[in-house]
Formats: sequence, C-alpha cells, structure tokens
Amino acid sequence: MKSLRQYLPWILYFVFFLGVLAVNPGAHYTHLLARVIIFGLYAVAFNLLFGRTGLVSFGHALFYGIGAYITGMLAKASGPDLFLLYILLGGIGAAIVSVFIGLLSLRLTGMFFTMLTLAFAQLAWGITFKLYNFTGGDDGIQAIPKPAYLTGPVWKYYFFSFVVVTICVFVIWRISRSSFGMVLKGIRQNPGRITFMGLNVYKNQLVAYIISAFFTAIAGGLYAGLDGSIHPDMLHWPTSGNAILMCTIGGMNTFFGPVIGAAILTGLEEIVGKYTEYWSFSIGVVVLVVVLLFPRGLLGIKWPWGRKSTTEEKETEVACNTGD
Amino acid sequence: MKRRGLFLIVVVMLFCSFTVAYGAETIKIGALYTMTGRGGQYGKDSEVAIKMAVDEVNAKGLPGGAKLEVIITDDKNPQYAVSVAKRYISDEKVKFLFGIISSAIGLAVTEVSKEQKVIFIGTDHAATDLTANKFQKYYFRSANNTFQSMMAGAMYLKDEVKGWKKIAYIGPDYAYGRDQWMELKWGLDKLGVKYQVVGEYWPKLYEPDYTSYITAIMKAAPDILVSGFWGGDTVSFIKQAKPYKLFEKMKYFHVDAGGNYEALAALGGDMPAGIILSARHHNNWPDTQANKAYVQKFYKAAGRYPSYAAEGAYVGIHMIAEAIRKVGNANDTEALVKAMEGMKVQCPEDPSGFTSYIDPKTHQIVQVQAIGVTVKNAKFPPAKYMLGNLKVYPADKLWPSFEYIDYLTKQKGK
Repeated sequence: MKSLRQYLPWILYFVFFLGVLAVNPGAHYTHLLARVIIFGLYAVAFNLLFGRTGLVSFGHALFYGIGAYITGMLAKASGPDLFLLYILLGGIGAAIVSVFIGLLSLRLTGMFFTMLTLAFAQLAWGITFKLYNFTGGDDGIQAIPKPAYLTGPVWKYYFFSFVVVTICVFVIWRISRSSFGMVLKGIRQNPGRITFMGLNVYKNQLVAYIISAFFTAIAGGLYAGLDGSIHPDMLHWPTSGNAILMCTIGGMNTFFGPVIGAAILTGLEEIVGKYTEYWSFSIGVVVLVVVLLFPRGLLGIKWPWGRKSTTEEKETEVACNTGD
Repeated sequence: MKRRGLFLIVVVMLFCSFTVAYGAETIKIGALYTMTGRGGQYGKDSEVAIKMAVDEVNAKGLPGGAKLEVIITDDKNPQYAVSVAKRYISDEKVKFLFGIISSAIGLAVTEVSKEQKVIFIGTDHAATDLTANKFQKYYFRSANNTFQSMMAGAMYLKDEVKGWKKIAYIGPDYAYGRDQWMELKWGLDKLGVKYQVVGEYWPKLYEPDYTSYITAIMKAAPDILVSGFWGGDTVSFIKQAKPYKLFEKMKYFHVDAGGNYEALAALGGDMPAGIILSARHHNNWPDTQANKAYVQKFYKAAGRYPSYAAEGAYVGIHMIAEAIRKVGNANDTEALVKAMEGMKVQCPEDPSGFTSYIDPKTHQIVQVQAIGVTVKNAKFPPAKYMLGNLKVYPADKLWPSFEYIDYLTKQKGK
C-alpha cells in the first residue's frame, strides 16, 4: 500500500499528461498543456531550492533565460539538427553561471540572498535588452527552427517536452529522496544541526543551486522550441516571481505541488485573460486565498480522510537563512 | 390545394431563412493590444477605432451578408501573445490576426501567422523589419514603419533646416530607439547630407530622470537634437528639458512619434513652440472631409481625440473588408493575400488627390508623411499646440527602398 501511495502522483501524472494525447484536445489546448508541463519542470526545479532547501531565490528567470537563449541562438545559427544537444548545452551553460552566482550569493542569508539573486537576474536582463545586435534586444529572436521530427502538429512537440520533462522531474525526484535530498531538507529545517553533524551547509546549498539552475535552463530551452521565439521578458523578474507563485499555490513542501501551481497559473492566465485584461487580479485572489486558507498549498491540504501526519511533518521547521 | 400551397410557402420560407442564416456568417478577427500600463492608451484608442470601422463595414455590408466581429485581448508579452494568437486560430477560428503595439510582440506573432498561414494585419508596431528582412507573405501593415518616418525626416533636415552641421541623438535604449537613429543616418547619407555626430544618448525606456542627459546634450551643443522617444518618455523629456532652455539653444527634431496627439494633449501649454515633430496621423491635417469626419466620429465615441494608433486600427479593418469584398469570402487566404497586394486604401491621413496603397512586394502601406512645427492651436483640447507649417513628403519617395532592405538584412539578418 505504501509503495502504491508513493507512486500515486506519478501514476496520475502519466495518466493525465498521456491521456490528454488520447483525448486530443485540439492544437491550442495541446499547446497550453505543453506550456504547463514546461513551466511544471521550471517550478519543480526551482522548488528543489525553495521548498526543499529553504532558499528563496528571486532570480531564477536568469537560468530560464540562459537556457532559452543558448538553445534558441544555437538552433538559429547552426540549424536544428542537434536541438536536444542545444537544450543540454543551455542547461550546462546555466549550471556554469550558477556556480559563480551561487559562490557569491550563498554567502549571504535570508533577504540579502534573495536580493542578490534578483540583482544578478536583472543585470542579465539588462544586458540581454541592450545587446540588441547580439540578442535582438527587446525584439528578441524569432523563427527558431525545430528539427523535422518536431515540426508539424503541436502534439509532436508536446510529446517531446513530456519525455524530456518526465526524465528531468524523475531525476529531481530521485535527488529529493536521496541522502543528499535529506540533507537539503535538514538544511531547511535546522542548518545549525546539519553543521553540528559535520556537513557543510554552504557546499550542499551550492550543489542544490547548480542542480536547480541546470533543470530550470532545460525548461527554458524547451520553451524556446515550443514558440520558436525568445525575448528578454524570459529573464525579467516577473518570470522569477512566477516560479514562487507556482510553488506557493501548488504547495512548496510537496514534490508535485509546483506542477499543479504551474497548471493553475497558466490556466488562469488563459481562461480569465479571454474575458478581461485585468486577469492578473484573479491570480492575486487565488494567491490570497491559498496563502490565507491553505498555507501549505493546494497539494499540501490535510484532508480529514487523508493519512495521519508523520513525525517528520510535525517537526518544527527552523527556517534556513534567517540571518541568525 | 390551399393547405398544400401554404405548406409550400412555409418550406420556401424556411429554406430562404436557412440560406440567409447560413450565408450571413460572422468573420472573426483576433486582435491583440496593450490595454494596460504605459502603452494602454494606444490599445484603448485602437479599440474605439476598431468599433467605428466594424460598424461602418457591417452597415455597408459584405458579400453574403457576412458580418465582422473583432475579439480583443490584452497582449501582455510575446510569450502570452503567441499563445493567444494560437488560440484565436484553433478555437475561435479567426480569419485574421490583428493589431499589436509592441514590435517585439509583432515579431513573435508574425511567426504564428507564417506557420498557420493566417493573415496578420499589423496596425501600430513600427519596426521596419516586419516588412523588410523579416517579411512573410501573410503579414500586412496598415501604418507607416519607422523607416518611412525617418526617411521623410532626412529629407526635411536636408531641405528645410538651413545651416546645421552638428547633430546628436537621444532615444530609448532598445531596438525601436536604435533603429530610428540607424535609419535617419542612412537617409542622410543617401541624400548626401554632410553632418557631424556630436553625441548619442541612450536612456533606458521609461527613464524617470533625464537631467544628466540634458546637461550632457547642452554641453555637446548640437545644432539638431534628434529624439526617438514615444509616449510618456516624450512628455517627461520635454518637461524636464524646458527649464534648461534646451529648445531655444538647438532644434528639437522628433518625427516618428513626437507629434502624436497623446504627447500634445499631455503637455498642453508646456509644449514648446517651434519644435519639429511628426506622427503617423494628425488630427488637424489634412484638412479633408474624410479626416475631419474620422476625428469627430472618434471624439463622439470616446470623448477624447485619437492618438495615431487609432488610425492604423481603423484602416486595418477597412483593408480586411475591402479584401473580402474583392474575393467574395474570407475563406480563401491565398486569394485574400493577392487581393491586398497593391490594394488602394483611402485613409483619414490621405491628402486630397492621394490614396494610400499596399506595396505588393513588402506588404507595407505606402503613405505620405507630413512634418511640421508646433504652433498655438487650441482646437483639439486639452492640447494647446498642434502641428503647423507642415511639409508633405511623397509616399513613393519613402517606401519601398530595397537598398535599405538589403542594408537592414546585412545588419540584422533574416
């Protein structure tokens, strides 16, 4: 029973995202679901840092943008044949950048860490915006080609995204459940205790930061292929804010919560945006309701008929990076 | 016998009503505009103009009694706009994509148009790229691009401004600002004008404080200061530069968006007299019945006078209607493309004896450009100054310029 419960989210994940292909909801909704699944990876990757390690980065758009720009620019410059490799290179590029940013910013704690990550992301956004001969400036880059096997009906790219995202999410899931993942959880709950255990908090946080950046960039690279265009908004702070919103709405202490958050945020934008230009108001209301009534997020709601809380969940969490 | 006759009449009536209902299809147009924030006024004005044009078209009638219907969504950013454009095509079954203020969004949506083979009428974004190096056959534009404005500007500087040599530029540091300066210099070089650039200033878009730029410009002392701002940035810059007497020490030259009614209205009595401006439409020029009627109709509908964005949207709807009339339906996209190529479109901004037309090779509307100086005129409140002494530049001298398209393609790629 335990193992079934453990794998239930995965079963639902496969049933939903593959079932959609069988139902064939039409080109637009398949495109929308492709966005959901890509944003889902972005949110899950971000949550490795946010929900798991307790680090509030407000600059993850930087890595999302790096992934998108490396993939898009390489595909545009040298053709789409090695598209998958370019996505991977986007991830590697973001991981390299994250080493430098992580080394600097993780020395700070709490709000200072958050602000520094925001500063780096805004710096990258500014450079992308201004280097218009190289990046296309605010116009961005369009007509990014895709390999022949991904062109045509949108379900092809949806399926491709599904496979890539599933592999990435599975790897993050395994990491979260590994001893390293437990250390990250320990860092979030009580960094002092982790230090007393002889483990290096800073080093582990840095590794988590790099892994998170890598997978975030994979999501960015996938998006570059989905729309065939990239633009500096991808590196702008609202993109970072979206990751926090997705995790908060879905449940930052749950593994699949961010995917639910991504679906809600994308769905609201789409459905409410049809009827009013003030669609962002609805997002504000949802966030307000979730934060006030379900602070653990939608997937973190404790239903009366649900399983009893484990000792682990009852632990008092000592927030990491409080500056103490 | 009588009953049978009655039955026959009922059948015929039912058949006729079915035929009429079937023939009277609704042709959907999917529009995207910035409806909130700093560019929101452009979207709101376009919305009013679209309604005016749709009412006119539907009143006049389309083949088969078809009616136009326009859906408008706030475009927000390229990523969202692309998603909405795809939804328009797959779910709403729109026959045309329409609108868009930002060139960045226009460039992203033109890819959707190309991929899905759906006609896209750009009504306000001005990046020359869309009808030049990024041209695709399903894209048409119903307003001037920045090259047309800047080429007219180069002619104005050559012929109307005497004894100048030193020139400086200030414009927002992104593609729109950079492109205008590149285009003006190209035009001046092409016309053989000798000049010396004494400064280039690139404040960020929506810069709140221009003091440091103003003092630097004053120090450089150009004869001509070319400006590439739009919207609120134009207003802020002029307000901040006025106390420094910048407009008395050099000629301020701002010909793509400087003369937009939005800026004239916002500045009111603070607008300096004698500065050189232009825009893609003027409320007080040309003094034709068509322009007067358009401006007054807009005023009646909205309670304010239109910015130039409105005219692009108004013309765009009439372009679509005309193409449908020529083809006879809105289902044959390839025929509609052919119908629009070379089409003559009577626009409010057309002076007597001239009709704008769509260049068949680039799908860019070809229009005259009128450049003038600010003079006191309170006929369009809250503006206290409007443009006067207008010099009109012939449309065919401004576009197409295949030499520039080649140059742009080399600079920016396809």
